[in-house]
Amino acid sequence: MFACFYIPDFAVQAALLPELAETRTSLRTTPLAILDGPASLPRVFATNRAARRAGIQTGMTKLQVETYGGVLLRKRSIALEDSAQSALVNFAGRFSPRVESASAGAAILDLAGMEKLLGAWPGAMREMTAQAAEVGFELRVAVAANPDTAFLAARGFSTDASSRSPRSGSIRAGVFISPGEEAARLSSLRVDVLPVSPEMLAILNSWGVHTFQSLAALPAVAIVERLGQEGLYLQKLARGEVSRPLLTVEEKAEFTADFEFDDPVETLESMFFILNRMLEELCLKLLNAALAAQELRLTVFLEVRHLQRSENEQELYRHEWKLPVPTQDRNLLFGLVRLHLEKVTFSAPVRRLTLEVIPVKPRVAQEDFFAPPAPEAEKLEITLERLRGVVGSADEAGIACVGAPNLVDTHKPGSFTVKHFSSLNAPHQIQHQQPERSKPMRKTHRLAESKDLYSSQISNFAITLRVFRPALETSVELTGATPHFVRLWSRHRRVLAASGPWASSGDWWNPSVWWREEWDVALKTPAGPGFYRIYRDRMRDRWFVEGIFD
Amino acid sequence: MQLKAEVLRAQIEEKLPCAFTVYRRPEQSTIATGIAQIDNEVQGVPLHALTEICGSDMASSGKTSVLTSLLAQATREHFCALVDARDSFDPVSGHAAGIYLPRLLWVRCGTNRMKLPPLEQAFKVADILLQSGGFGLIAVNLSGIPERVVRRIPLSTWFRFSRVIEKFSAALVFVGEEPHATSCAGLVLRVASEPAVFSGNLMMPLKLKVEVVRGRGKRPAYPERYAGYAKKLPEGVGASLSAQSAQWA
Repeated sequence: MFACFYIPDFAVQAALLPELAETRTSLRTTPLAILDGPASLPRVFATNRAARRAGIQTGMTKLQVETYGGVLLRKRSIALEDSAQSALVNFAGRFSPRVESASAGAAILDLAGMEKLLGAWPGAMREMTAQAAEVGFELRVAVAANPDTAFLAARGFSTDASSRSPRSGSIRAGVFISPGEEAARLSSLRVDVLPVSPEMLAILNSWGVHTFQSLAALPAVAIVERLGQEGLYLQKLARGEVSRPLLTVEEKAEFTADFEFDDPVETLESMFFILNRMLEELCLKLLNAALAAQELRLTVFLEVRHLQRSENEQELYRHEWKLPVPTQDRNLLFGLVRLHLEKVTFSAPVRRLTLEVIPVKPRVAQEDFFAPPAPEAEKLEITLERLRGVVGSADEAGIACVGAPNLVDTHKPGSFTVKHFSSLNAPHQIQHQQPERSKPMRKTHRLAESKDLYSSQISNFAITLRVFRPALETSVELTGATPHFVRLWSRHRRVLAASGPWASSGDWWNPSVWWREEWDVALKTPAGPGFYRIYRDRMRDRWFVEGIFD
Repeated sequence: MQLKAEVLRAQIEEKLPCAFTVYRRPEQSTIATGIAQIDNEVQGVPLHALTEICGSDMASSGKTSVLTSLLAQATREHFCALVDARDSFDPVSGHAAGIYLPRLLWVRCGTNRMKLPPLEQAFKVADILLQSGGFGLIAVNLSGIPERVVRRIPLSTWFRFSRVIEKFSAALVFVGEEPHATSCAGLVLRVASEPAVFSGNLMMPLKLKVEVVRGRGKRPAYPERYAGYAKKLPEGVGASLSAQSAQWA
């Protein structure tokens, strides 16, 4: 068996899909017309039922419609229609893995083997309609033995007055056509429901053929003689005799949501509302595909007027989040996006938003029992984003302000990076014995005794250098080659003892060459002796205070 | 009369279930500092409590080294956070001291042109980390922040931190020049170092003296404090030279 999901007034429903459920419900009873065409002369492209009752017809000009009063006008959006069609196909994927996107606002499902899963057809159709209402579609369902019959029934009966409930006048939920009854059930439909060209339709009407019944009753040979194979195909469709395989929708590897504002927006609230809806749509897609988001990429298109654009202004803003744990949680993703955008200042109003998700298989196993207690991985991402909102993302050198410190394989003093901090990336077994680098690590200070600083029992007390970033530029008075006075915090400090010079250099093969002479000095301060590391930058011939042994 | 009291109590408890609940402090467990002399005296840094480690900023007091040693011990069993108000942490020194860097979240305050000054950033970050949970140790290094600025922090802030940390199985450690949390702190250590010397071109290890200004533990370890005296640890921490292992008065 095959089912067809058909959305009556697709352009109208697609235009209302981004609205809230309450707004959508109220707008359905309001006359609404979708306009399309050139900006100088837009014409009515689609209307809802209330508008048709009010007398609005397709093809009317905007001026004609405005004379009616109380009619809501919307501009047609191809992007919204594409998005709605995509949502419809995804929704159909809830019931069957084999789905064909038949036409705008229609999807055909192969339900072979699903009978036990879905239950009796009337109940299944009611369930499908109810779930579609939750997604935001007013849906028409037809079930038949072949896909074309299901499509024609869903399309034909949704516009046919006979399909309406005699009591309420609303469209009935679905049509079920038993095998063998196709011709009889379709007989009342009009021939313009068929995929027929205007010329062919004119010929049929000139013959007095207006319904499926009259077309099906014509002799096949005579139709072939007059209308060719196309006529015969139409007659088979009217009889419900066409059987074909479904052209199923290929599963897309990309999970992308796109939205273009009618007018560029300047407030974050407007963006957040749309982004939340886009993420909801993406998470629903992920859920249906049994996948989870590993990366989230945001592209913001700015409305930069070319006459006013300066060199620094860009039309695009991009940001991506790499999640340590694949997630389908919309609140988590939205939280990350919201916290990031709150600290971004755009140079121009936002015209369009695009979100892309890189999907992976979701995490199926939990952490082991012997792992140390750690921050919850998903919650930690939000925390890190909040921290970045307070202290910033990176310093002037481009090193991250929040993360796990990481040593760099170099002898250059003060070299480090900051990695992304994650409770999942840290191995449970601590490797203390050797640093990760191949080169021997630079010692922080020159102790008189050699100590095994990596031993598992830290019984010895290791002196730590508290660094000044950036290093404090200073002046040093020398006695011979040894520092005698060091200027520190606007005062000359007498050097009580000094150790050095310790010369080092490197990177002479590239522009970031460094060459310095270090001294460890004990300075006399009001609070007592302070052990500082000073160095002379031989490239610039200047003295700096690097830090204090504290 | 007894009956009336019970009825009254039941009525109050119906509206305010915790009205007559006696507040109990959580069982105090600790994180070792990795310095045997300190751990023997105060059993390490208490969880569920605020700790202050104080020492001079200008002289080499050794407070940063105590913090580093504490982080080295804590990262063995916990994920830790270091809120660095002046961006003064040296990862090379930290790694050499035994800190397991992948388990350390380092938040560098004041490194770019954000609106908040570094001190406020540090406190805000500490607040976020406390609310986040999951960290066994949250250390806030205020070294390098002028004392007159830190002194402006209202007592209510310290009180709030001390009450929040009581609910979490974590230690909150502030490192600065002077203690400020007063009675909100569960443990206050003041560290200072004896003048170090150079032996030829090599620097001798610092000899540390630690003073317990305030302690709150299971055992009444410091009866002297009630008499107005703070206890000084008997041995210079890290002393390696037998000639310098004299007792500190």
